[in-house]
Amino acid sequence: MKINWEDLQGKSFYQATARERAYGMVDKDTFKEFLGPRDKMTSPHLLILGEAVEFDDGITVGVGKIKKHPVFVISQEGKFVGGALGEVNGAKMAYTMKLALKTYEKMKEKYGSVPDDRKPICIVSFDSGGVRLHEANAGLLMHSESMETIWELQNKVPYIAITGSTIGAYGAQGFVCLSADVVIANDFGRIGLTGPEVIQQEVGKDEFDASDRALIWRTMGARSKYILGDVDYLIKDTIGTFRDTIVNIVDEPMSKISKTRKVGSPQLVEENLEVVKLAAEKKIKDSKDLWKIYGNENVDQMPEMPQEKFLSVVKRRPRRI
Amino acid sequence: MALTELNYEFKPETPKTIKDEWSHIGVVASGDLEVLIEKENALKGKIKIHILTTVVGFDDVWETVVKKFIDKTGLSGVKVSINDNAATPAVVIRRLQQAVDNGGGLQ
Repeated sequence: MKINWEDLQGKSFYQATARERAYGMVDKDTFKEFLGPRDKMTSPHLLILGEAVEFDDGITVGVGKIKKHPVFVISQEGKFVGGALGEVNGAKMAYTMKLALKTYEKMKEKYGSVPDDRKPICIVSFDSGGVRLHEANAGLLMHSESMETIWELQNKVPYIAITGSTIGAYGAQGFVCLSADVVIANDFGRIGLTGPEVIQQEVGKDEFDASDRALIWRTMGARSKYILGDVDYLIKDTIGTFRDTIVNIVDEPMSKISKTRKVGSPQLVEENLEVVKLAAEKKIKDSKDLWKIYGNENVDQMPEMPQEKFLSVVKRRPRRI
Repeated sequence: MALTELNYEFKPETPKTIKDEWSHIGVVASGDLEVLIEKENALKGKIKIHILTTVVGFDDVWETVVKKFIDKTGLSGVKVSINDNAATPAVVIRRLQQAVDNGGGLQ
């Protein structure tokens, strides 16, 4: 079986499958998949419940190379059970992260230090609605294991999160996504905790109308997150541009990469809470009002304008740390 | 409600096999399926098919669709594993063809 790397570079990231994204993001023909379809490791829980199973359990994990870096790639498939995290795919995700950490520690033990141009990298391409409800506790356990590993990766291995596929990063995966050092998104990227339908169900249609797609995109979409500082790079929708952005980041020293972290210290928590405070004080009813506060004009046109124009006029939330 | 498990074995008249060692295509999305083809030396001239599907009561349709594809292409010497989530016959044929193409085609 062969996947043509050159064809993938120009392909839409939004439309690509998890495997195509994983193969396309690392250097040509360097991707080696762990527990691929041939290993047939399917979810035992879905089988009992009579739900469809998949040989890779909806995730592609493996290792590849970018320049001299070993790159550990985790790529979620949103079309299979909403990309939700279960026992098998959760373990694949958490233990690939652990492998990145182990690689770092082995390199440090053997060579004394890990040079900037050779350090391991961990990339997660999110496309998930959170924990798989069919196997709730097993999925949550794996979620917490990956969160623990992310904490250990801090200041050692750059952890790059990507959102730009059909589902986005919701539920438990919203946390995992925003714990990253760098978050990259295209215009289709979405990050949130509770999805639109659930918010409407819980607090009513007047508060949040889940059928109003424009409202959803300007609240949870990548452009709003870019203004608020949750997304660091807003880029075009091809696998190649995602790869180029990653290639430009990886050689930077760890201290510079981790500058864009959103969580991880009391100061950062305080800075994030200021946004909440601001929204409460100014009685923000729509994310456009918040964009205005950060100095954006033309807020009505901003969600629809072409990406280049948006990037040329946008004013983002200033960061102190 | 358990998944339906179907096993078939065929012997096409003009046996051909895929070029590569294995081939995989598709995502088990709603109305879609994944196909995994693996070469097996013990199956010379024969083909084994294993299907796991959420649909109940369409065993005859599955047999017809799969047999038609194998008679047409002569695919053999392989084990085919299918995970299905309510795909229509047209989608099944398309994915089988894609899986063969992805494995370097028939020879």
